[in-house]
Amino acid sequence: MAIATIPTAPLSPAVFAILLSLAEGEKHGYLIMKDALSPQGGGVRLGPGTLYGSIDRMMRDGLVEESGISDDERRRYYRLTNLGHAALAMELARLDAAVSSARSLGLLPQGGRS
Amino acid sequence: MSQPAFTNTRLESMYSRALRLYPARFRYAHAESMRQTFRDALRDASLPRRQLIPLVLRDFLTSIVKEHLSMLRDTFARPALIFNALILAALATGLALALYAIPQQVLRQGANDPQIQMATDMASILERFGVTDGLHQAALLNSGGVVDMSRSLSPFLIVYNDQGQPLSSNVQLDGQTPTLPAGVFAYTRSHREDRVTWEPIPGSHAVRIAAVVERISGNQPGFVLAGRNMREVEAREEQVRQMAGLTWIGMLAVILFGTIAFGWYTRPRTTLATR
Repeated sequence: MAIATIPTAPLSPAVFAILLSLAEGEKHGYLIMKDALSPQGGGVRLGPGTLYGSIDRMMRDGLVEESGISDDERRRYYRLTNLGHAALAMELARLDAAVSSARSLGLLPQGGRS
Repeated sequence: MSQPAFTNTRLESMYSRALRLYPARFRYAHAESMRQTFRDALRDASLPRRQLIPLVLRDFLTSIVKEHLSMLRDTFARPALIFNALILAALATGLALALYAIPQQVLRQGANDPQIQMATDMASILERFGVTDGLHQAALLNSGGVVDMSRSLSPFLIVYNDQGQPLSSNVQLDGQTPTLPAGVFAYTRSHREDRVTWEPIPGSHAVRIAAVVERISGNQPGFVLAGRNMREVEAREEQVRQMAGLTWIGMLAVILFGTIAFGWYTRPRTTLATR
């Protein structure tokens, strides 16, 4: 049996957007798609094919799982696993370091978003 | 403004049909969820259709390619399958090399046959009678005329003195009796006999000779070379090489198709029961 490990390489925009969306809680496909499309979610244009292809691989990697709870039998809800939380935290730390570096170089305004 | 229900139904129906183009495993696992996500998107008034349809269309075209590639990877890039294919390919390569090397060696060794007898006979005569008288005796036996080394397939003889200079021969190449490389004389001096492929003319119009060199002992030491143009032997070797090459390609093709068929037959599957 394969042992799931935290991805070390930077995550793809789709995977990051899905992890970020599910960090709020259990969601079904269309809610994840809408979150990803919003500026706060990264503005990633995920269609159903890319969304479920990514979810398929993330489930195999142990980053997300089906919650098993649904308000409609055709809708499936997904949630982060512990590994998914850790992967998201690691990616956020990596991005935070990059943003801090950019800020210290004067590429971004000091004190956060302007 | 709400979208007309008929259009939504029609779009859903088209999308459902398009989902059949995804690989079976992916379709079984996610088609219903994808259909529902598309349905939700169509009913969401905050997402304009002019934005949704191009997004879904572009996503469909890219993800379908990606999922088919992923399916091919899952089906054929399994370590056990690749390992077995590589082992079989290595065996086929070894077998094809043997199919070439064994007959090639038999042909090459066989190319020395008359020369061995000729060189040992001549060396024996020259040792018994001395080089001067022996050459006279041998000339009486050899009445076949001068052999053209580059064209004739007749075996020939050359007698060299102990310094490697030709004393007598019944062969010529460009009007001269060619001289062997010094290393062959040195080897024959210490081992009594050497069997070599001699190339008096190198390059694209090379002349290659299957040569047997015997040491002459006695008062007038020297060397006897018996040789023969390898043109016909090399033509047969080339035929063997081509047959071995075709056999190798054939075996690799069988392994490839067998691996593809086995990989497809034993591919990971998701059935409706496991959804």
